[in-house]
Amino acid sequence: MKKFLIYTAWIFVITVFIAVVLDGLYTYVFLQSKNRGKIETVFNSEAQKYDVIILGSSRANNHFVSQMFEDKGLKTFNYGMSGGHLFEASLLLKLMIERKYTIKNVILEADLNLSNDHEAEGISSLFLPYIHKSNVIKDHFSSQENFNELYYIPFYRYIKYDGKIGFRETYKIIKQDKTNALDNLGYYPLAKHKNGNMKNNIVNLNPLPHNKYYEEIKNICKANNINFIAVMTPMCENVKGMNYFDKVKKAYPEIYNYENVVAEDKYFSSCGHMTDAGARIFTARILKDFFKK
Amino acid sequence: MFFNSIAFAIFLPIVFFLYWFVFNKTKSTQNALLIIASYYFYSCWDWRFLFLLVFSTFLDYYTGIQIEKGKSEKSRKFWFWLSILINLGFLGIFKYYNFFAASFSDLVTSAGFKASPILLDVILPVGISFYTFHGLSYVIDIYYKRIKAEYNFVDYSLFVSYFPLLVAGPIERATHLLPQVKVKREFDFEKAKEGIYQIVWGLVKKVIIADTCATYANAIFDNYTAMNSFSLILGAIYFAFQIYGDFSGYSDIALGVSKLFGLDLLRNFNYPYFSRDIAEFWRRWHISLSSWFRDYLYIPLGGSKGGIWMKIRNTFIIFVVSGFWHGANWTYVAWGFINAVYFLPLLLYNSNRNNMDAIKLKFDFNSAKVLMSILYTFFLTCIAWIFFRAKTITDAVLYLKRIITNHNFSFQYLDNERYSYELLLMIGLFVLVEWNNRNKIEPISGKRSLLKLALAIVAIMAFGTFSDYKEFIYFQF
Repeated sequence: MKKFLIYTAWIFVITVFIAVVLDGLYTYVFLQSKNRGKIETVFNSEAQKYDVIILGSSRANNHFVSQMFEDKGLKTFNYGMSGGHLFEASLLLKLMIERKYTIKNVILEADLNLSNDHEAEGISSLFLPYIHKSNVIKDHFSSQENFNELYYIPFYRYIKYDGKIGFRETYKIIKQDKTNALDNLGYYPLAKHKNGNMKNNIVNLNPLPHNKYYEEIKNICKANNINFIAVMTPMCENVKGMNYFDKVKKAYPEIYNYENVVAEDKYFSSCGHMTDAGARIFTARILKDFFKK
Repeated sequence: MFFNSIAFAIFLPIVFFLYWFVFNKTKSTQNALLIIASYYFYSCWDWRFLFLLVFSTFLDYYTGIQIEKGKSEKSRKFWFWLSILINLGFLGIFKYYNFFAASFSDLVTSAGFKASPILLDVILPVGISFYTFHGLSYVIDIYYKRIKAEYNFVDYSLFVSYFPLLVAGPIERATHLLPQVKVKREFDFEKAKEGIYQIVWGLVKKVIIADTCATYANAIFDNYTAMNSFSLILGAIYFAFQIYGDFSGYSDIALGVSKLFGLDLLRNFNYPYFSRDIAEFWRRWHISLSSWFRDYLYIPLGGSKGGIWMKIRNTFIIFVVSGFWHGANWTYVAWGFINAVYFLPLLLYNSNRNNMDAIKLKFDFNSAKVLMSILYTFFLTCIAWIFFRAKTITDAVLYLKRIITNHNFSFQYLDNERYSYELLLMIGLFVLVEWNNRNKIEPISGKRSLLKLALAIVAIMAFGTFSDYKEFIYFQF
């Protein structure tokens, strides 16, 4: 039995050693990543100057045409992330501040995402390779339930989120495979879909009265003299529970309601996402109202 | 609690420690601990079904004794059939009632009558097909006087509910496991080491092969109408490796875990995809179930004694029943039937026991023939797996039809955001490793075992699929 206990102890030591080595290797590779996604690009960047930064979910990513801002002389990048919540938007802004970005305006898409303040694992996991390299990331995750495992167990985060930051992603970074996440200055245009779902039911959705990460973004902007613009973006006509947007307005009077600026189905790829044509109408309106352009 | 979960990684060392250091005085204390651990393990799914397991155990224990004590044949028969009917009754209600009710309703409706089936909202208790078969084999063996009834309830309970085999087998025999639980186990370092190797290799099969193949197979099978011929062929191959990695991986872990407690379980898989014909495949795939059906259904039906037609009839019966054992769906029945059809030429030419020897290859024509027969057998099993995996028989037929009629063999980008061909290299490597170690139980033991173990751990960590977790397929059976 003694021999077996020593043997299993050896296996344990070997396993921990392998985990530490793999953790170091993967993290090193992620630190070299520059052209795969918005998070890696921000993390591995140095100070930048922007007139406008756009944050939010896919409803920011697909709705704000960065080039239209640029055409008006405003240096802009759309950092909206499909599937992301305000948890990730807030952390991304914190990283920009940590890297000493100079930002004049932050436009935050704040509507459906106000209904929760938890992380979107598919997106938040992309920050995890850097958790030991940035106090901002560490602190942001420290309130999460599985923080201890993610932070203290070597390689655990790469195993848990292997689909996002596992071997395939690491291999693609080494191969320097490019994604389209950074094309069009971060904006992702959508086309009209023949079978796009033009119905939505948000009856059961309610904005949180004090969304932690929304407040965080607002406060970061205030502390760094950044003009904070929060907007609700359009949805198609056939939505059950459209009074959600009124509820948002009631809870957060400072958020501008642009939900009905574009309404016709022909401008939507799916109920919550406009086509490129719709996004252009919407962006033109934003430029006119907030930048007098 | 799954074998590849954190909970099990905590549970196993605790039980191991208690077993060898606290409850190691007698075989009774060892058995008592294993029963408590097994019941806890089972109750992690649904504690309510624990009553069913205990009832099933008590039923077979009691009827076994009554059969042995029975003074008249009539009394022996009574207790025998009581046990069989109650066991099959439970299986029928929990596993097949809804299927039969819905099928009957469909039949009546197709005849022009209106019928709405009364469906029971019952959950399938995990492992019911396995522990019911344990009990059945025990009672049948007593009835036919092959074994003596077990009078020690604790020992018998452990035979039925021993946690490594409780939820997905292997289906043990009283003749094999009961004698082992009747003696005190002494720790054997070599056996325990073998157990570790088998557990690690089982994890390789589960998390690297099965779960990765699953993401591709699901993306292809769930969208087969949009897939081209090449992707559909790959889908069938991926599913073949998914189910092999999943089930044989589970069996490896079960056997390995059991070795840590000094108990040997029946081997369930013996590199089935290296079979040279379908008969050999069934001697290597889910061995404990195949031999169960052979001993408790095929032979009682007359086996091959009544001439060729009797042999064919009995073969079809055991394959169709075996298909149905897997689940309440016509696709499983079709899968069983197809395998029986594959058997037909072997039965007609009396060549079903041709390939009993070990495979040896040289650089000659005969070896090329052997390789071709292995590939051909794999091809046949893949076709049958399409029926096993598809949602309906119609889907399976359309899947096959599309392979033949689509004629497009280009690479496709799948819903899982990967190209269809990407897994081939990994499967090729896996096949190579298994081929080179086909004479061993697992590839890790032997020379440089510590290095191979470390490589397997690296592979599990780096190449395993963890985030898209898949339950063991055979849990649903």
